[in-house]
This record gives sequence, C-alpha cells and structure tokens, in this order.
Amino acid sequence: MGILLEKISKNYNGQAVLKNLNLEIVRGEFHVLLGPSGGGKTTTLSVIAGLIRQDRGSVFIGSRNVSRLSPEKRKIGFVFQDYALFPHLSVFDNVAYGLRVKKIKASKISVRVGHYLHKVGMEKERDKFPHELSGGQKQRVALIRALVTEPEVLLLDEPMSNLDALTRETIADELKSIQQEMGMTTVYVTHNQGEAVLLGDRVSVLNHGEIEQIESPDELFCHPKTEFVARFIGAKNILKARVIRINQHEAIAQVNNSGLAKPLKIRVKKYPIFEKGKEINLCIHPEKIILKREDKVVDGNLNQIRGKILDRRNNGRFVKARIAAGGMELHAAIPKNIFDFETNENVWVCFAPDTPHPLCGKRCRATETERRCLKG
Amino acid sequence: MKGIAFDLAVSLIAAVFVCLLTLPIFALFTATSFVELVNQFSSPLVLSAIVISLETSLIVVFLALCLGLPVAYLLATKQFRGKEILDTLVDLPISMPPLVAGLALLILLGGNSKLGGLLNNCGIDLIFSKKGIIIAQLFVSSPFLIKSARGAFESINNNVIDASLTLGASKFYTFKKVLLPLAKNGIYAGMVMTWARALGEFGATSMVAGCIPYKTETMTVAIYHNVMSGELGSSVAIALLLTIFSFTSLLIFKSRIRGQTAVIV
Ligand SMILES: Nc1ncnc2c1ncn2[C@@H]1O[C@H](COP(=O)(O)OP(=O)(O)O)[C@@H](O)[C@H]1O
Ligand SMILES: [Mg+2]
Repeated sequence: MGILLEKISKNYNGQAVLKNLNLEIVRGEFHVLLGPSGGGKTTTLSVIAGLIRQDRGSVFIGSRNVSRLSPEKRKIGFVFQDYALFPHLSVFDNVAYGLRVKKIKASKISVRVGHYLHKVGMEKERDKFPHELSGGQKQRVALIRALVTEPEVLLLDEPMSNLDALTRETIADELKSIQQEMGMTTVYVTHNQGEAVLLGDRVSVLNHGEIEQIESPDELFCHPKTEFVARFIGAKNILKARVIRINQHEAIAQVNNSGLAKPLKIRVKKYPIFEKGKEINLCIHPEKIILKREDKVVDGNLNQIRGKILDRRNNGRFVKARIAAGGMELHAAIPKNIFDFETNENVWVCFAPDTPHPLCGKRCRATETERRCLKG
Repeated sequence: MKGIAFDLAVSLIAAVFVCLLTLPIFALFTATSFVELVNQFSSPLVLSAIVISLETSLIVVFLALCLGLPVAYLLATKQFRGKEILDTLVDLPISMPPLVAGLALLILLGGNSKLGGLLNNCGIDLIFSKKGIIIAQLFVSSPFLIKSARGAFESINNNVIDASLTLGASKFYTFKKVLLPLAKNGIYAGMVMTWARALGEFGATSMVAGCIPYKTETMTVAIYHNVMSGELGSSVAIALLLTIFSFTSLLIFKSRIRGQTAVIV
C-alpha cells in the first residue's frame, strides 16, 4: 500500500506548520522524511497516522481515502521517538497488545509474539517491564509492537535519536532487513543525514512545512536543488551568481556573494534553467576543487580564484581546507597524498566549468526533461 | 552563636505546632476508658450512626467514581470551550463553607422548590433522608476524587495513549487498558480522600438531612448532637473511631501517591 498526501495544510494558532504538502510514497518504499527540528516532520507523520487531523487536504493509504478515519482504523504501525511503551505491561504484553485488541486467540498470540521477540533477539526479556530495559531494547520492543499486527504502513518518528551510535547502527540494519523481508511501506522521520543515506530508498527534505526536494539519497547528496537542502546536507561552497552571458555550451556567471570584495566572473556549463540576467545559486563539491600554488600556471580551462588557506584538518583519506577567497569562504577536500600546502599560504582555487551545480529549486519529478538540469 | 539561636527558635516554634496537633488527640484518648468504650460501641444508637456513616460514605465514593472519572478525563485530555468554568466549578465545593452548600441543597431539593416538589410527586424524598446525606456528601467530597484522578490522567505520556490508538484500540479500550491502570494510584488516593471527607462531613449533611436518630444521624452529627445534650461519652467514642479512620486513610493515601506526581488539591 502506497501513501499519498494531497495538499495537506495544518495550522497551529495561526502559524502554518504544513503548507500545501504533496507527497507520494510508493508501495513497499522505505521513505525517509529528513529535516531540521521544527520542520513539521512529526506533524506530517501524525497526519498520516490520523493522530492529528489536517486542516485541509487528503490522505490516502493504498486506494483508501483515510482523511476522516480515526487512527485505530488506519491499519498502521507507529514507532514513537520516546518509544511510548506501556509502562504497566511486560515486554510480552506490550507486543501482544495490538493482537489482543483484535481478539486473536491466546495460543496464536503467544506464537506470533514469540516469533517477533525472536526476530530481534528479545526472548529472554519477555517478562521484563519497560523500566528494566536499555534504550536499544525498548526500541526493539517498540518496533515489533508496531510490526506484530502486520500493518500495511509503518511510521517511525526519529526512532534512533536517543540511542548511542553503535546500537543505532545495529538497529538500523535490523530495521532495514525486516522492512525488506516484510515489504511494508515505511516512512522514517529523522534529522540525521547519515540515517537517511543508510536507510532510504528515497528521501524527502522538509523545511518549514514544505518539501524542498524528493530524491534518492545519492542524487540528493550529489545534487541538492535548493540552498536549504544544500546547507542541510552539509554543502559548503554555495555561490550566489547572476547569469550574464549564455554561449553555446557555457554560460558566464557573475558571483556576488555577500562579503565578496569585488564581483567575480566564472564559466559554468550551460544548464536548461539558465536565462540571461537570472539569479542562481551554484554549489561546488569540496572534492571537485583543485588547489594550485600561487606561482603555478593554471590550466586555462579552469576557473580560478585567488585565496589563502585559513586552516587544514585531516579527515580520513582527505585533507579538508578552509580557504579565504576574496571575502568569501570556500572549502576544499584534497586527497591527503597530494596535499602539500601550509596554513596561510596563498593559492589558486580552481574548478572546472562543469563542476558548479545549480540549485534550481524546482520540484523534481521523474520526467527526463526536468532532470536534465541535474544530469546536464 | 547566632546560627544556633536561630535553629533553636525554629525548633521551638515547630514544637509548639506539634503540641497543637497532638495534644487534642491525646486529650481525646484520655477522656475515656476501655470499659467505657466497650459500653458505648454496644449502644444501638452509636452503632446505628457508624453504620449510617459507613454506608453513605462508601456509596458516595462509588458515585464520585462514576460521575467524577469522566469529568477528570475530560479535564485532563480535552480542550473545549468552558473548560475553565468546569475547572473552577470543581474547585468550588472545596472552598465553599459546607453549611452554605447544605443550605443551597436544602433550597433546591426541599418540598417547596420546583425540583423538590417534582421529586416528591414521584415519591422521592431527599430531604431528611439517607439520600439527602449522600447528595450532601457527594457535593462536598467529589472534587477530591476529580482533582486527584485528573492529575493522574495528566501525568500519562500522550504518546502512550496514541500508541494504543495506532495499535487499533478504540478510545474506550484505551481508557480501560491504558489510562485506568496507569492512573490507578491517583484514583485510589482520590477515593480515599473522598471517603475521608464524606465521613467527616457535618455542615452540609446536617443542613440537608437533619439529625434523626437511627435514620439520618451520621457519626459527626451524632458527636455534635450528643455533646449538646451532655452525653460526652458516646461523642468521645465516635470521635476516637473517626480519628482512627482518618489516620488510616491518610496512611493509605500516602502509600498510594508515593513516587507519583499526581497533584492533590
Ligand atoms: N500541538 C501543537 N501546538 C502548537 N504548535 C505545535 C504543536 N505541535 C507542533 N507544533 C509546531 O509545529 C512545528 C512543527 O513541529 P513538528 O512537526 O513537531 O516538527 P519536527 O517533528 O520536524 O521537529 C513546530 O514549530 C512546533 O512548534
Ligand atoms: Mg519531531
């Protein structure tokens, strides 16, 4: 069963929390809803679950319009950020709860619950109470409690945010394999980009109640389309520019970031969204930046900006350098074996015309024409 | 030196307060003897007062539970217009002098009022009857249950309730299986307080039900009545029993709210 959110709006005390939100999640998809705190992620999830009633818009689960249905009729599983286990019930009774509601026979319940407890390695804890469990164990109980009724849709609200890194990784693996095995449509809310990459078939980025981009994790991280997404996933080099000339294959853009002493012209590969005079944002991956000694002659094909190395930091196989370039700050990631610059050294910051990628801000549907701005 | 003087002063004042609380109770215990007590508790009039008090106060606890739990649930979980008013109404009987409450009930239910007349015609006479006692006690004591239960409901994590709903449980099922068990201690504490208050109720009860021996004479009414007619012995016996009841209920109450955040009155 897929999920379709159609023009969902929600206000709290006159403040718009969800703004005309549209989202289609296909059947069996592991969809990650990524965004900063306060962006409306929990609200979106609660609207799908029916725990919050939207002001406008419709919610479909499969072909059912569930917009007016109360949560208990929506056939969903929900995992809460704080686990929300029943404190007065044992692990077994917590997991069995959804089955007892359905008046399933006790013998069957016992088998089913046992099966799920086994699945997450919690058989030994079956008679413990929630306050006797570790965070990771509580999370597992919360997960299988939601799964045991075999819902069509599984909703998880920042389920890992209270766990340590190691537990997080193990549970993420368990979750992903269970999801693939059972195939339920899953919406996973997080503010952590790492989890989004690890888990998501697709990721949508939610900011101030609007979806900024829906994409596969790879695509999202290589080609963020708005400045917000770019910054949120950690993009560093964002150039604000105006297209001043368009040639056959290339355009000339004038960079005018605030702080820049004087405007700077660069050559950029021509993208379909370019128009003369248009203001655009360009993003350059730090790995795509090349540094040259000040006295070296630079390949005439590359853009070059004078800069000075502010500091350097080892990061795995790369050295990450912060460079002051005419009033703006650029970031470069250079393989360790070829990095031989000192702090405070003057350098040329170089990049090829096809490396800056425009943040076009348009909704990306899967049609080829609209993707051209990305693939070029 | 000054510090010690201050500590001493504080301790002395506290000691005065302790005397204020314990001396009267002590006096009560010394005002009688074992033989006298046995005598009093075998007197039919005393026994009848005890039975009437226990009977009415336990019915009141039951009714407060039936009527008060929904109100507590409403106040704890719902936002609605007039909530503040309802909230204030619940507090009212606590601050209102019981005599005033009794007078109000007397006017409302008495034979001269419309409602009283209507009830009379149906053969229901609330004034000077046990039913009247129950209504008066309910009026005065139910807020204790409501406030305690409300506090207990409010301390339940909302997500736990939502979890039950997403697992397919109806609101009623959730109330039964999640809210009630989790609010249990707060509700028990409220029941005990309500019972103690109902048992000790005098002003409203005597207004509405008078003091008809063997019919509407509760323990508190009997104490007053007997003292007024010079029979200190039976008053002391009943008073001692009430003291023991209230002490016991306080212990139960304390044990119930230990480690629980329920807000009590
Ligand atoms: N019950 C509520 N009443 C008022 N404002 C709310 C309520 N729930 C959420 N909000 C507001 O809606 C916005 C989005 O909240 P939420 O969906 O919880 O964001 P997220 O889960 O992405 O952190 C926040 O600004 C929050 O303050
Ligand atoms: Mg949230």
